[in-house]
Amino acid sequence: MITVIEKIEEEGGQLKFTPVGFTQDQELINEINEAYDSGLGKFFGENRTKLEIGEITINAFFDVTPSVNEARTQQENTDGLRELKNINEL
Amino acid sequence: MAAPTKGNITQNSATPGANFRSINHTQNTGNNRFLIVFLTMSNGKSYTSATYGGDAMTFEYTIERGGLSSRMAVFTLVDPKTGSNALRVNFNNSVFTPLSFYAQSFTDCGGFGAEVKTGGGASPRTGNITVEQDSLIMVTSTSNAVNQTVQIPTGNNVTRTNHNINKRVAVGAISDAGHAAGAISVRATTNNVNLTLDRVEIKGLASSGGESDFFLIM
Repeated sequence: MITVIEKIEEEGGQLKFTPVGFTQDQELINEINEAYDSGLGKFFGENRTKLEIGEITINAFFDVTPSVNEARTQQENTDGLRELKNINEL
Repeated sequence: MAAPTKGNITQNSATPGANFRSINHTQNTGNNRFLIVFLTMSNGKSYTSATYGGDAMTFEYTIERGGLSSRMAVFTLVDPKTGSNALRVNFNNSVFTPLSFYAQSFTDCGGFGAEVKTGGGASPRTGNITVEQDSLIMVTSTSNAVNQTVQIPTGNNVTRTNHNINKRVAVGAISDAGHAAGAISVRATTNNVNLTLDRVEIKGLASSGGESDFFLIM
């Protein structure tokens, strides 16, 4: 199994996921997901109710941080994606 | 006259942050293709539909597990397009809680068969499913604690994927090989925490009447 790295942006008030590469490096996967968890993941955790009732939108996050990455999709095919070995390649 | 051939898997657990989630999945080439996707998320929102490569998938079932504040669903598609296509699941509103997503392809498959869903109860959680000759069984189990084992049949541990979506979902557990026709016992376990036990049948060609049966009749 390979892990797909997805770039997450805001589009029309919703998350837009774009596959940008794949990796088999567990350290890189952890690095990407820890950054997600401390950023967008934390934002969701702190604002879930406000988001669900429409009191705020995800723009509150993406106005400050245009994009984040996540590495939580696993599949068996590289699907034409390039292999990334370093977070600086993102 | 054989069990389905297991194909590609795509799995993810992440927050959709939208009223849909689309993930690319590669369907294997071959005859009698079949695609199934298992979904679990918070019960605050609902699944409305799913498509693969733009083709509508069959909504096999959805079930709310109030004790676990969860909602599960299964969609399938017979003879899906081959290659890499978007598998899109739609919700009734934007979802800001994690979604467990597990898709598996098959070839030489007779499609979706029996389904048995058992709500939360003490571990070990054991139940039967009656299947036809050469069918495979897939099990999903949800709990407040990490799943320890899934056994298909009971006593035979099989691999599964554990997703943490605030609840713990064991998904993708599948028979090692096709079963003989009849009632098959399956089991899931946690460390003294209640858990659910949902099982579905993936039919082999023997039980569905494939093309070979047609030629035999001729």
